[in-house]
Amino acid sequence: MAKTAARSDPSKKEKKKKKGKGAKRLPSGPAAAAMKAAKPPPTLNPFETIWSRRKFDVVGKRRKGEERRIGLSRSLAVEKRKKTLLKEYEQSAKSSVFLDNRIGEKDDTLQEFDKAVLRLQRERQAQKVKEKEEDESLMAKLDEDFSMLAQTEALQALSHPSKMNALKALLNKDIKRESLKEGSSGLSDNKLIEKGHPDAYDKLVKELGSDRRAHASDRTKTPEEIAQEEKERLEELEKQRRERMLATDDSTDEGSDDDNVEIQNSASIKIRPTSGDDLGDSFSIADDVTGKKGWIDGIYEQNDADNQDESDSSSQDSEGDEDNEGDGDGKDGSGDEHVNISTMKDWEQSDDDDDGLNMDGEETENIDEKEVAIGDKLTLDLHEVKTSSSHEMNAAGNLAPAKEKELPYVIEAPKNLTELCSLLDSRSDDEVVEIINRIRAYNSIRLAAENRKKMQIFYGVLLQYFAVLATQSPLNFKIINSLVKPLVEMSAETPYFAAICARQRLIHIRTHFLEDIKNPGKSCWPTLKTLLLLRLWSLVFPCSDFRHVVMTPALLLMCEYLMRCPINSGQDAARGSFLCSLVFSVCKQSQKFCPEAIIYLQTLLTSSIELKLGLQQHSQLNHLMEIRVLKPWLHITDQTCAIHPLDFFAVMEMQEESPFFATDTFRASVLSSVSETLKGFIIIYEGFSSFAEIFSPISNLLHEVLQNPNLPGLLRDKMQDVLDLIKKKTDEHHMFRKPLQMRKQKPVPIKLLNPKFEENFVKGRDYDPDRERAEMKKLKKLLKSEKKGAIRELRKDSQFVSGLKETGRLMQEEERAEKYGKAMAFLQEQEYAFKSGQLGKGRKRRR
Amino acid sequence: MVRPYGVKGRKLKKRKVEEPAPVEEEEEEVLSDEGEGVGVEEETGNGGEIAETEDEKRAEEAVNEMPGIPITAPVDKTKRPGVVFVLEKACLEVGKVGKNFQILNSDDHANYLKKQNRNPADYRPDIIHQALLAIFDSPLAKAGRLQAVYVKTEKGVLFEIKPYVRIPRTFKRFCGLMSQLLQKLSITAVGKREKLLNVIKNPVTRHLPVNSRKIGLSYSSEKLANLCNYVAAASDDATLVFVVGAMAHGVIDKEYIDDFISISEYPLSAACCLNRICSAFEQKWRIT
Repeated sequence: MAKTAARSDPSKKEKKKKKGKGAKRLPSGPAAAAMKAAKPPPTLNPFETIWSRRKFDVVGKRRKGEERRIGLSRSLAVEKRKKTLLKEYEQSAKSSVFLDNRIGEKDDTLQEFDKAVLRLQRERQAQKVKEKEEDESLMAKLDEDFSMLAQTEALQALSHPSKMNALKALLNKDIKRESLKEGSSGLSDNKLIEKGHPDAYDKLVKELGSDRRAHASDRTKTPEEIAQEEKERLEELEKQRRERMLATDDSTDEGSDDDNVEIQNSASIKIRPTSGDDLGDSFSIADDVTGKKGWIDGIYEQNDADNQDESDSSSQDSEGDEDNEGDGDGKDGSGDEHVNISTMKDWEQSDDDDDGLNMDGEETENIDEKEVAIGDKLTLDLHEVKTSSSHEMNAAGNLAPAKEKELPYVIEAPKNLTELCSLLDSRSDDEVVEIINRIRAYNSIRLAAENRKKMQIFYGVLLQYFAVLATQSPLNFKIINSLVKPLVEMSAETPYFAAICARQRLIHIRTHFLEDIKNPGKSCWPTLKTLLLLRLWSLVFPCSDFRHVVMTPALLLMCEYLMRCPINSGQDAARGSFLCSLVFSVCKQSQKFCPEAIIYLQTLLTSSIELKLGLQQHSQLNHLMEIRVLKPWLHITDQTCAIHPLDFFAVMEMQEESPFFATDTFRASVLSSVSETLKGFIIIYEGFSSFAEIFSPISNLLHEVLQNPNLPGLLRDKMQDVLDLIKKKTDEHHMFRKPLQMRKQKPVPIKLLNPKFEENFVKGRDYDPDRERAEMKKLKKLLKSEKKGAIRELRKDSQFVSGLKETGRLMQEEERAEKYGKAMAFLQEQEYAFKSGQLGKGRKRRR
Repeated sequence: MVRPYGVKGRKLKKRKVEEPAPVEEEEEEVLSDEGEGVGVEEETGNGGEIAETEDEKRAEEAVNEMPGIPITAPVDKTKRPGVVFVLEKACLEVGKVGKNFQILNSDDHANYLKKQNRNPADYRPDIIHQALLAIFDSPLAKAGRLQAVYVKTEKGVLFEIKPYVRIPRTFKRFCGLMSQLLQKLSITAVGKREKLLNVIKNPVTRHLPVNSRKIGLSYSSEKLANLCNYVAAASDDATLVFVVGAMAHGVIDKEYIDDFISISEYPLSAACCLNRICSAFEQKWRIT
């Protein structure tokens, strides 16, 4: 046991030392050199001069500790083994050990002389310590004796009264001082508080106390409330108007004051319709006179009573309408159908008997709004007396006397065309618009449920009125135009009803058209009324829908007109070109393809070529429109004709045989509009892949048209423009065209892989997201390296030991061989001597 | 303990084959580069082929069903010719800046480089970044006609980039990738053990296909070639290897280069050169 302990201990120590030494020695050149010099045999091992090299030289990385002299460390290790393992090996065969525990014997660096010095020092120290101890023991003995004496005296001194007092006095002084200090500090604090000026924070706190609390602002009004307020405003105004009418007798100063207010009000109200479709915002006017509400309510109730009677009478019809809404588009309930048909009949009648409605007088009364306002003001006194008797009837929506100039503010919605006509007769255009606006405001759908029915009826009536206006011979285009806005807005309010009206109307128009086309003598082209209605619907309903209840049949109808109606006159050509532009406006957003319109335009172009040419070259085109009678309607013979935009209404009003249609001016105008429409079509159809095929016949035609020497310059330019446009787009299309590909599919790009890397990579760190696994890996790595190191060390040790054994064995063998040789030599010598006779008794004996 | 799991087969095979016929080994490598899987060659390669053949079968059936459609011979994807790029003298050098190891560049480390007595103008890793983006963004690469890309840094480190790597698009990330590559010597794919970037032994010629024709590009060369015609004239039997320098100044070394040409009258950037080469091949092979 002792042996093993003795063996293991020094080896451990040596190992530790070796590590420390290695770290110290390796970097520093001089130390290594000194050691080398210190080595007894200065044999230079050439392997010791080899340094390890680095594979990658990294800028900025310290070289310190990075490189080693491998040969040197190897020889060092060998040295170490010689010191430890060798000694142990040598000791292993022995039963006892000589341990040299002298001072400095374990330190290799010390010289023999130094060791001697150390030993001497130690000896001296030990001696001194010994002496000291002796002294101390002596002193202790003396002290003991002295203390025995001193203890008693000291105790007596302490118990002396004078000394006790002195101690007490000392303690009291301390206490007093402390209390003084406390008192002074408290005082200063109080002063600070009293003195302190009100700082920013205090001010803020005070202000917070006196602050007003925030209040919720008025909420935004709902559309219903706005409508209600508008209605109330109208009622208020009506009331004031009546007051004015009545108050002519007692025209006091107050009245005039009131009038002034009224004038202002009316002026501000007059501005309103010009401000667009906004319903409210001018409510502040009515605020002034809210005090007199009781009277208004009276009128309001009265009105309500009247209304109810009427609404009862019309409730059945309107219920039918409601059903219709519910039923939807495709299915037409029997109940509503008869209602609608009855209205249709009214419309159709209106076509014939427009004599009854004379609007001629209206033209003269086209006054500006301001003038109306002034007129109101001036004519107040004159008319109020006269109208006073009839105001109640007016308020109930009954017939208003034609002479009355001022508009009533509260108007019931009319229930049929005659009512409306009587209401609107002898009114100026602006007044008509104003009346309609007031009816809409007063009977707004948002106010009451029954108003919906009223407004639906009114919408039908208004549409009828629109149609009637379109049939009048001197066309009042301005009023038709101004009717469009309320119609569009009302359609938005009652979309279902509007759609049903439009559909019924479309069905009716088509049946008419089918009848007309059977009769060859009659022109089957749409009338101006139909055209205007189609235009209205294209404004009312969305044109961009893929499929729409009204717009799809309307577009189909238009295309049918274009396809089936023969061109019998210049007027027909003009109508057709108008229809084409209508089709264009419908198709513009949805980019639907209407071949009818394009073929029609083509036909018109063909008709502008001389007949012979046209018939010869376009036989394949003509068979498409064999019904059409092709004459050179638009062949221009005079170069000097002027081109100005065609007044379509004027054209429509002319007789079919009017000489105007034979003039070159007309032809040029039609052709210019044709080319414009064509350009529009080219622009919207440019995205079609068959663009080139659609427009190539047209471009050929245009070439031929341009060959006509009599074409006016402006028109020629336009056509050339269109031609160039077609050519450009066609070329573009041809450029991007690709041949058909079998099983066409986009090539799939190869699948890419993302490299895995860290932004700030540090060598040696584990980037495993699983902490535990990383830790485990680290430990395993450590274990592995340690294990490897241990294995290496053990292997080297065993190699060393086996080397030792080998040398031992060799030496033994050598020794043995030597001994054997010696013995053999001795024996051989003896044998030789014996044989040669040198060794023998005989000789000796002989001697 | 030595190799936990995976890729034993290939290494063994490589060693076996290396002695008798290094030629075959090279070919094999090229083939594997073209296919999808390289790391686990046998399985993925076969799987891909099976999928392909199935696809072809289905297509043929469809064709047979449809009358009047001409049957075209299916193109064998594995035998399509490809192109190899070698980027020489790339300025990728790792330096220890503060505590981190970073790819040195002239913008961020100008003062540091001056302190180390180096010329900041020489440190231009953005060139190689742009060049690699030019290669890997081209339709040529997307069509899978890129065989391999080798990059040799100015320090002499040679690494291979697989043709289906998504190169980081930002410069900072690219630098991160490169510094990790140069320290770890290989970069794997996300979620796979397959090595996408791998530092390999010099010289580059031992990795190039056998019957390859190495073409070096240099502004200094007297031989001015129209690249489209040049590429179109080259036969598909020999793999074309383009050697382009990714450095700011200097010339690539001509040791192993068969043909030394210039493609423009002007000195071009590496990315521009590579773009031209790629577009020439796209024209030739009708990749759009």
